[in-house]
Order: sequence, then C-alpha cells, then structure tokens
Amino acid sequence: MFEQLDSRSPTPLYDQIAARIRVAVAAGDLTEGDALPSVRRLAGQLRVNPATVVQAYRSLETDGFVEMKQGAGTFINSVTDDRRDAERESAARHLVQHMLVEAKRLGLSRGTIVGAVKREIGEA
Amino acid sequence: MDHAIQTKALRYRAGKEFEIRDLALKVPVGSVYGFLGPNGSGKTTTIRLLLGQLRPRAGSISVLGYDVPDQTTQMLAHTGYVPERPHLYPSLTVNEAMQLHAAFFKNWDWSRAEELVTQFGLRRDQRIGRLSKGETGKAMMLLALAQTPSLLILDEPTDGLDPVARRDVLSALVEYVSGGDAAVFISSHLVHELERVCDWVGVLDRGRLISELPMETFKNGLKRLRVGSAPAHLDDPPFAVLAREGDGVSAYELWLVRGWQDPMHQYLASIGADLREVIDLDLEEGFVELLRTARTA
Repeated sequence: MFEQLDSRSPTPLYDQIAARIRVAVAAGDLTEGDALPSVRRLAGQLRVNPATVVQAYRSLETDGFVEMKQGAGTFINSVTDDRRDAERESAARHLVQHMLVEAKRLGLSRGTIVGAVKREIGEA
Repeated sequence: MDHAIQTKALRYRAGKEFEIRDLALKVPVGSVYGFLGPNGSGKTTTIRLLLGQLRPRAGSISVLGYDVPDQTTQMLAHTGYVPERPHLYPSLTVNEAMQLHAAFFKNWDWSRAEELVTQFGLRRDQRIGRLSKGETGKAMMLLALAQTPSLLILDEPTDGLDPVARRDVLSALVEYVSGGDAAVFISSHLVHELERVCDWVGVLDRGRLISELPMETFKNGLKRLRVGSAPAHLDDPPFAVLAREGDGVSAYELWLVRGWQDPMHQYLASIGADLREVIDLDLEEGFVELLRTARTA
C-alpha cells in the first residue's frame, strides 16, 4: 500500500501516507474497525521518522477517516458512500493534475493530451 | 536541557591541512539529526570530539548536559555509539559481546537485546570475527540499542552494508526512536537514505558547518527553475538566486533558488520572464547544490 513514497514530491511525506490510506478506504480495501499498523511498526517498515506517521494519522483523524484510541491503536471509521465517491474523485483529480504538470514540461498541447487520453480509454 | 548536543566555538586542528573552526552544533532533544558532509569534511573528527576521544583546542562541548571531555564517563553511560569501523573483539561470540556490554551499561535491556538478535537473524554462538560485514553492522547496532541510550551517535552506520542489512538496521533504529525521546546523531554521506528518517540536517564542509536546519526548512523552497527570456539583472527578487546557468540544450536558463513559494511566479511574470518549470530537489540534490554554492561563494 505504501510503495513508491516519493521524497522529492512537493507533497509532504505524511500527506502521501495519509492519501494512500484514504484511497484504500475509498476502494473498500480498509473498512470500519480495521486497525492501522502502530506508529512504531509503520515507521520502522517505511523507515520514516515516527513523527511523520503520527502526523499522517492525525490528519486522517481530523478528516474523520480514523479514530486514534489512546493505548489501543488507530482504527478506520465508518465512511459514507458519498465520502468514498468524493475521495475517488479527488484521487482522479490529483492524477490528472500530475499528468498536466508533466505535459507542460514536455511542451505538449491540450489537444494532444486530450486525444491521447481518449485513445487510451478507447473513446477515439 | 533543550539540546542533546551543543557545541560552541569548537576548534580542533589535525595537522596543517585540516581544521575544525568555530563549530556550533545544536542537536535538539528527541531529534533525529542527519550530519552530512563529503568524505574528509570532518564528520568523524567531530564525532570523536563529541565522545571525548579528542581534546578540542578551544570552545565547549555539552552532550546530554555533561561537559565533554571532563564528564565523558557520565556522558558515555547514556550514549550508544556505533563507530565507522567495527570495534568489537573478534574472538567473542555475539552472546559474550552482549554480556560484556551488559556489564558496562546499567540500562542494558536483555529483552530488547533478545528481540534484536531474532530480528537481525543473528545467532548467539556466532563469533564476531566470523560475521559478515552486514551481520557486524547489525551486531554493533544491537549493542548500541540494547543499552537503552538517551543519545545514539552513529558514524556511517550503514556504509558498506548491502541493501537488506541497511534496511534492517534503519528499521530497528526508527523503531527505537518511536518508543521514546532519545536523540540520534547520524553521520552519513549516503544522503538519500537519511532523507525520510531525519528531522534535522547539519551540513559540514571542510571543517565548517555551512547549514543547520529542520529537514522541512532545508528542503522546502529549494528549487530549480527553468526560466526563459529573463533580464540579466534582477531587481530585488523575493527569493534568493543561488546559481544561474544555461541548461545546455535550449534557450532556457536553470536557476537554483531558495525561499521559493508558488505565488512568486507573479514576480517572474512581472519582469517578463517565462517560467517553464519548477523542479523539486530531493535532499541529495539540495546537498550537492548547497556545497557547490558554498564553495564558489
């Protein structure tokens, strides 16, 4: 779930970790009551500063995705279908934004990009 | 005590060629501090000063609140140290090395030691001299962690280890730090490896500290810009231009800037420049650029 975290990305590491978990919730891979790994275990596994994992979990808690129970761990909250859809949409938007930045770098026109997307998804 | 390590105006001279000058380090309690610098910049010398192995010519050193070198013994009781080169007796077994360390350190934690033996895939009856390079690195880390130190001083702890051993050693380190407020001072020239683990960075070059910042500050705002049709002279830019050069293939220039924030593209538009791209730098690139600009300055 946490492959290819990108240290170079302008998106902070904690945000990248939180985003992976949000996507897993949106996709239904994580459901209500599932426990997230402890801070110690996830930090060790990803070899990131523990504070980064704590920050990721806190931001998920602020968004209502998880609940941090003192001493017990961090658990996935129930998430409505609307929320899941919104999360999927947001993931798609990020993907497109990322593509557009690359496209600008390569000097590709809008028409070229739109054409390529349509061809790839079989609409052209 | 706010700082696990603090040096002031530290000076040390090793021969005619090399000198540590006016070194002022501040390593906050609970931080994981990456001590970066090219080979020969003085990292190991600094570490030996911190540990009381060398006597400074001038200046002061405080480690865990103890004055070094005067209170070195008290300081060492709470400090785990992994040197660049193995320092263990080759004829001892892993078990005997642990017993030796347990006798010296009153906070030695046997259950942690046992856990790490298993986690690192070591055997208690292996002789230190027969261990592979990776196993030796793990054994040294095990001994340092099992003494439950308040400060870990690690000198290139993963240098020369294979990727799997490096991963195991770093994971164990991060897990240890998660459990409390121990500080870690870790020197390395393997910059990318420290990028995610550290929250503070100090950069040493030719015996001088040229930068000491929280990791986020160090990385944030250090960008490479690809810019076209910019005037040769910039009037009071809102960011610092550290370097400016052609990109070698097109009419665009590459600028290295510090203090960049997104709204600043308006400044470039206002001077008629065409900002083509904002390139994020990782720690290694930032480190290389920092050295380059420090040396040409």
